[in-house]
Amino acid sequence: MPKPRILIVDDEERFVKTLTKRLTERGLDVFGVYSGRGAIEEVRNNPYDVVILDVRMPGLDGIETLRELKKIDPGIEVLMLTGHASVDSAVEGMRLGAHEYLMKPCDIEELMEKIDAAYELKQTRDDRIRQAEARRIVDRSPG
Amino acid sequence: MAKKGRHSYRGLRQYITIILFVAAAIPMAVTGGSIYYEYRASIREKVTTQLEGIVIFHKESIERFLEEITAAMMVTTQLKPFDKTVQSDVLQEVFNSLQRQYKHAFGDIGVIDSKATHLAYIGAYDLLGKNYSDAPWFKEVMEKRVFVSDVFLGFRRLPHLIVAVRQGDGKNSWILRATVDAARFGSVVENVRLGHTGQAFIVNKEGYYQTRPRTGGYVMEKSEPGDLELKPFDGVNFWEVQGKKGQKVLRAKTWMKDNNWLLVVQQDVDEAFAELYTTRNAAILMFILGGILVAVVTFFTTRLLVRKIERADEEKSVLDEQLIQSQKLASVGKLSAGIAHEINNPLAIIGEEAGWMQDLLKRDSLKGLREMDDFKDSLREIAQQAGRCKEITHKLLSFARKMKSVIKDVNINELVEDVIGMVGRDAALSNIKIVREYNAHLPLMYSDPSQLRQVFLNVINNARDAIEGGGEIKIETGIGEGDTISIKISDTGPGIPKANMGKIFDPFYTTKPPGKGTGLGLSICHGIIEKLGGDISVASDVGKGTTFTINLPLELKRGGI
Repeated sequence: MPKPRILIVDDEERFVKTLTKRLTERGLDVFGVYSGRGAIEEVRNNPYDVVILDVRMPGLDGIETLRELKKIDPGIEVLMLTGHASVDSAVEGMRLGAHEYLMKPCDIEELMEKIDAAYELKQTRDDRIRQAEARRIVDRSPG
Repeated sequence: MAKKGRHSYRGLRQYITIILFVAAAIPMAVTGGSIYYEYRASIREKVTTQLEGIVIFHKESIERFLEEITAAMMVTTQLKPFDKTVQSDVLQEVFNSLQRQYKHAFGDIGVIDSKATHLAYIGAYDLLGKNYSDAPWFKEVMEKRVFVSDVFLGFRRLPHLIVAVRQGDGKNSWILRATVDAARFGSVVENVRLGHTGQAFIVNKEGYYQTRPRTGGYVMEKSEPGDLELKPFDGVNFWEVQGKKGQKVLRAKTWMKDNNWLLVVQQDVDEAFAELYTTRNAAILMFILGGILVAVVTFFTTRLLVRKIERADEEKSVLDEQLIQSQKLASVGKLSAGIAHEINNPLAIIGEEAGWMQDLLKRDSLKGLREMDDFKDSLREIAQQAGRCKEITHKLLSFARKMKSVIKDVNINELVEDVIGMVGRDAALSNIKIVREYNAHLPLMYSDPSQLRQVFLNVINNARDAIEGGGEIKIETGIGEGDTISIKISDTGPGIPKANMGKIFDPFYTTKPPGKGTGLGLSICHGIIEKLGGDISVASDVGKGTTFTINLPLELKRGGI
């Protein structure tokens, strides 16, 4: 199983850095950015499997960022991180295609589970897409 | 907080009493007063009309008396020519007939020629040959045919008045002259009977009595200077003067005999207005009695009123307390939500840092570190305490959160039963009996079941925690006042001391040891119940237990959440 590529988006720099270290320690390929804009920029340029996205950020907030990310890469899985008061917006985020939300501060094991689940989902979907594409190619091929 | 002391209610009571009393007494006084004044005016009118009547009647009878005498004498002079009348027997006859006619009012009679010589005389005095040419009456009778004098003494030292009539003109003229006994004349006037103090008398324009006043004084005596106004006027006038004994006297006066005589009729004011005074006294008595009645009624009304106000104040202060409580909670909620939010991020970082260090400690390079256990222990503690903080911040946030509630039909009995199912096993373990007293006929409510569940769970948990070493939790459902359902949850715990009663809904107020309770449960319940349009209250007997009463509206007010 290849390493899932994770992008952490949060305006709290230290949080991003430490979480990056911890997830890397657990064998994930992690990159961190500190704003919605940075996240969009990063996803545009590099492929990511799972985005851990803070809901409350100055400038572009989590929901808006999510919308943009889904435009760029509909297949990307997003985990929303939320303080309690923004649970509603997290739920809204799920409506917009976020995979799941977590309460901040979150437990690392729980986060790992959610990441794994999201990644697995993406994997199976990507597999199906690949198979479908393969079938399409086969169907089209003269024979 | 409108906590009114006893004294302020007393003040209020006095104030209202005075206001009410005045409000009742003023119309009474005004009505009484105006009726009294009307009555007084009409009595005055009656008295003055009576006096005026007497004055006019007397004036007329005096004038008639004098007129009759002069007319009779006039007729005599016309019937009996001069040469006859001067004969003493004829004159005697004339005199006798006049006396008969006028009750012996005449003192004497005489005939006088144009030269003012007394030619004939019937009477007690020797006046024959006496010449009157200088006498003012002679001049006047020569001028005016008729003369009636004032009362005077003359040389006979008896008050009398002269009546003289002239017959013929110039040299041929002759005069019949008679004197009228003043006492006789006076009796016409003096016999006025008007109560005990009423009397009538005549004074001439110099103020000499022409008749005898009943209250002392004699004919021909001069009345006390200043006692009578002697300026001529028309008609009848009234005066109120000070009488001899200091009493008030009402006087009616009129001028007569060509403004020569002033007829006075007077009566003491007290007597004239006696009727009025009795009425007035009766009125005053009525007023006092009425006043006492009004005072009594006012007193009791006010007591009732103030008691009502007191009760309303008490209710209001309870409401005020609740309002302040909920405002406090709302502001504390906002504040703590803000703080919780701010704390959340650093908390997350602390958690991650501790977690990272724990990750690091698992690396091979650090194996064999002597202080490993201490490190791990400390880090675990840091993580745990961060977790504890997180719990607090999350509770706080849920407390201030705008919850999207799901409003639907709720069967309270079932819902409470659900909650009991959650805590029932725990309770049984701690030797607590749960007593259910459900009203089976409760209507369905329209509310938010999940939030209600949270409230009941919290209150029942508190009840369970309060009971030590066995007891009972009683849960009662029923219909409350005004379209509400009431749920009572009682425990047999130690109760809440009065001093703490005001604090139990405050956030962070807890009696549990640190780490066991956040002190947010009841304040969150309070917030939820408020949002659902209900109220929660508590009653407690120290040593006996505590009862929480929750009232919920059957219909949730739209927009309440």
